[in-house]
Amino acid sequence: MLDLYLPIIVVIGIAFAFAIGSVVFSRLVGVKRYSELKMSPYECGVPPIGNANERFSVKFYLVAVAFIVFDVEVAFLYPWAIMFKQLGWYGAITMGIFIFVLVIGFIYDWKKGALEWE
Amino acid sequence: MADNLLSIMTFFPLVGMIALLFIPRDNDAMLKSFALAVSLITFLISLPLAFDNVFKTSGGMHYREFYEWIHVGEFFQMNYNVGVDGISLWLVMLTTFIMPIAILSTWNAVKKNTKGFMAMLLLLQTGMLGAFISLDLFLFYIFWELMLIPMYFLIGIWGGSNRIYAAVKFFIYTAVGSLLMLVGIIFVYYYAIQSGSPVNGFGIQEFYQLDIPYGAQFWLFLAFGFSFAIKVPMFPLHTWLPDAHTEAPTAGSVILAAVLLKMGTYGYVRFAMPLFPEALQTFIPFLAFLSVVGIIYGSLVAMMQDDVKKLVAYSSVAHLGFVMLGLFALNMQGMAGGMIQMINHGISTGALFLIVGFLYERRHTRQISEFGGLAGKMPIFATIFLIITFSSIGLPGTNGFVGEFLALMGAFESDLRWYAVFATTGVILAAVYMLWVYQRIMFGKVTNPANENIKDLSAREIVIMAPLLLFVFWIGIYPNTFFDKMNPALEQLLQQINNQQVAIVEVVQPVVANVVDTK
Amino acid sequence: MENLVQEAIQNVNLHAVMPSLILSVAGMALLLVAVFSPRGKTAHIAWLSIASLIVAGIVTIMGWNDTQYGFAGSVQLDNFAAFFSMICIIAAGLAILMSDEYLKRENFPVGEYYPLILITTAGAMWMVSGTDLITIFLGLEVLSVSLYILAGFFRDQVRCNEAGLKYFFLGAFSTGFLLYGMALLYGVSGTTKVYDIAAYIQANPDTTTNVMFVAGGLLMLTGFFFKIAAAPFHMWTPDVYQGAPTPITAFMSAGPKAAAFAALIRVTFICLEGMQDHLTTVFWVLAVLTMTVGNLIALNQKDLKRMLAYSSIAHAGYAMVGLVAWNEIGSAGILFYMLVYTFMNMGAFAILILIGRSGEENLTLDGVTGLGYKKPMLGIAFSIFLFALMGLPPTAGFTGKFYIFAGAINSGYIWLAVLGVLNSAVSLYYYLRIMIFMYFKEPQEDYAWVKIYPATAVSIVISVIGVLYLGIVPGSIMQLARMAGF
Repeated sequence: MLDLYLPIIVVIGIAFAFAIGSVVFSRLVGVKRYSELKMSPYECGVPPIGNANERFSVKFYLVAVAFIVFDVEVAFLYPWAIMFKQLGWYGAITMGIFIFVLVIGFIYDWKKGALEWE
Repeated sequence: MADNLLSIMTFFPLVGMIALLFIPRDNDAMLKSFALAVSLITFLISLPLAFDNVFKTSGGMHYREFYEWIHVGEFFQMNYNVGVDGISLWLVMLTTFIMPIAILSTWNAVKKNTKGFMAMLLLLQTGMLGAFISLDLFLFYIFWELMLIPMYFLIGIWGGSNRIYAAVKFFIYTAVGSLLMLVGIIFVYYYAIQSGSPVNGFGIQEFYQLDIPYGAQFWLFLAFGFSFAIKVPMFPLHTWLPDAHTEAPTAGSVILAAVLLKMGTYGYVRFAMPLFPEALQTFIPFLAFLSVVGIIYGSLVAMMQDDVKKLVAYSSVAHLGFVMLGLFALNMQGMAGGMIQMINHGISTGALFLIVGFLYERRHTRQISEFGGLAGKMPIFATIFLIITFSSIGLPGTNGFVGEFLALMGAFESDLRWYAVFATTGVILAAVYMLWVYQRIMFGKVTNPANENIKDLSAREIVIMAPLLLFVFWIGIYPNTFFDKMNPALEQLLQQINNQQVAIVEVVQPVVANVVDTK
Repeated sequence: MENLVQEAIQNVNLHAVMPSLILSVAGMALLLVAVFSPRGKTAHIAWLSIASLIVAGIVTIMGWNDTQYGFAGSVQLDNFAAFFSMICIIAAGLAILMSDEYLKRENFPVGEYYPLILITTAGAMWMVSGTDLITIFLGLEVLSVSLYILAGFFRDQVRCNEAGLKYFFLGAFSTGFLLYGMALLYGVSGTTKVYDIAAYIQANPDTTTNVMFVAGGLLMLTGFFFKIAAAPFHMWTPDVYQGAPTPITAFMSAGPKAAAFAALIRVTFICLEGMQDHLTTVFWVLAVLTMTVGNLIALNQKDLKRMLAYSSIAHAGYAMVGLVAWNEIGSAGILFYMLVYTFMNMGAFAILILIGRSGEENLTLDGVTGLGYKKPMLGIAFSIFLFALMGLPPTAGFTGKFYIFAGAINSGYIWLAVLGVLNSAVSLYYYLRIMIFMYFKEPQEDYAWVKIYPATAVSIVISVIGVLYLGIVPGSIMQLARMAGF
């Protein structure tokens, strides 16, 4: 029973090793040039110090919403991928329609200018 | 023609109203003439009814028309079910007869928006006629409510200074009553269905055969009776009436007095009394008491008025008390007296409102103290006013006498003897307030200089009053023209009420318990 | 595994969702049309939306008496659903008719407006045809999310923003209740399909006393009560209705409310039948409370939109009387009443659109002083709608109330009917007051700014015809409601 989990444990081990290893390795061999920008705490692109009532640019939200919409909806592709063989052409066409709906949203976003930063 | 006489008569004013809407709004003369023509034609259409002798021999419904209207499976069914008998006959005639007079009376009085005024009058006529001829409770209710809308506008737009208050009061009083009646109507229907009785939509003739248990009858009578009592109006629900009457334009007051108030009494005769005879017995003493209070109270208050129109309005409360008392006597004399008194009241009170209208058009005031000594200035007016005053008092030879006498006699011969005794004082009080007001307006010297140049009645105004005077004497001297056609129907009604009282002795059905047990 | 997939595929049956499918596709297509159209040009989108609504309406009508089951019993397009779908389609159509000129006047002609209405309608249709709690929830969300946007559509008007935000918060809040209730029902019965829940209760009668089941049912109903704005869950209504663009207010009070009623009826009459005894008490109290609160507060309103908002609460109360009746007449009565209400209420709002000025601050009682003389046709139409809202014959308001109260009386709820008609009597006062200002007072202004927009006028004419037709010869439509009712 437990041996079923062995591959997962191996993967986890490799992941941890890689993460720790790369951090340690870059620390050891990387070049360090500190600047003010690099030393400041990371805050999603927002200056960490300033007025709390600062207005945010709506573009952040547009991008965030677009990202969430497409990201979440693309997640629907995974179950289809698992059942790909059984569903056959039926599934392929259905998912095609699904993607098409997403494309409409994408076109809308694009045309509205939601993807332009300026 | 005869097949659809009633429908043609009822809906002709409506068609006329729609046609009227296409007349340009600034063409006053045309609008008035057109409305008058429509109402006259309606009267002519209805005339064959008055000459039909079938009413003398049979008390049932005639000129029946029946069409299926709303049929919703086993849920409910309503039909267009109309007819007249001797009871509604004269009320229908009164309506078609009064209407041209009312329109003619407004010839110079209505200045603004004549088109709307005439349209409302015609719509009102359809509502009134429809309510009198309906034999289906649902249909009746539709027409009953339909009358409200034009009357509301008539008072509210063309009324006096306090018109908004009066219009809203009129509307809400009447609507509250009728809404409760609606619940009663629906209840009766489902009671009939669930008890397995044969029904024909909301047809009242089938409902007459129902054996409704006393408990339900009690509440139903209350619902129906309340609604009708507001319309009559009975003391203490009468308070909308003086306001509405005083503020309404002359034509509105005339129609309100002549026809609309009869809706209440007619409702008792046609619906509340025969449908719920057992409960009627319980309520008679109470209602008779209120009638007598209404007679005396109305007379006393009328006496103290210094506004002529208010005086006439309160006298209505008193007169209708006689009607109700006569009806509750539940014998032929009382019933016939009550019925004929309805017509009388329509004629004489209608005429009184016209007279007040004449005065108002001349002087733009209705204060009694503003007048005095008019008899010398306006001899024709004085004569007509005197005749109508006598009619209103009930002097023998005029119509008022026949009605009040029969109603009181009927009451005296029934269980309501003592009520009749007290009610008789109302006759004396009527003489007091009517003669007194006549004296104050017509006799003596002209004290107010504004009355010096007052003009006597014009030809148009005499034409308006002439038919009313004719009927004052006709009913006063030879009322049998009317009784002959009324009596068979009244006999049938009485039989219906009495039979039911016997029939209901001990009918207990399982379904009854179900229905009566209200949640 | 293979079989399950095949079975699922066979179960789809697109016929069952055809009308809403049409609207969804049209909505997406029009979204693209809107975004490719030049700024400020919206009329063609409005007409295309109406065309798609007509197509959806025809498809719905063709499906009459031909019940379609789809998606393994999650969707059931029966007469009940078809009738409510038609109500939503009519409401959407009227709303679109009265919108275009209005949007231009308010200086916000944005094309996305129409696709949003279409998608709202599609959501409403899933709701009315859903026989699975999840489907109902899905429809509700699609409907609500689109409406949140529409309610706050004029993003530069503070009032409108407030409306959108309030609607969103209260909507999300109520959805929480709804979803929690559904989850509990699922927890008890192990299924989300309403008929399976009913079958489960049939098999285990003691479920109806199970605390989890009762709590689930009540929580779910609470969610619906928010949506139909039954007191005491009505708090959001006045602000939202007042602030939202007027056509959207009209639409919200008719279409989505009808859809919420539909889902409420379906869920209660099927799933919660075992709780009938208790639920009728709940409905009784809420119906009386709703109509009383709505009418009493409306008495004191000066702002016409707000007054109509409270009146809409009161009318939801009347409709709930049909729920209390819990019989065929009552449920058919709700169907008929919602249709009637769609016409009379949307007509009244259409009049408000015409007499309003940009920004709408003049939509008060004083703002209609003497309107009946200056604009006689508008006055007559408004009066007809007001008489209908009062419930006077010969308008549809009367026949609608008659249907509902007939249901209540047939079930023996005489006192409820009495309270209902007394409430109508109270409502007379504030409706009459509008007419007092319109007719009984002398005009102060000449109403020069009132332009009779053609499309809006068409929506008014349609509403007048609907109100009078359903008031004078309602037999055939009442019959349809009977066939559609439970």
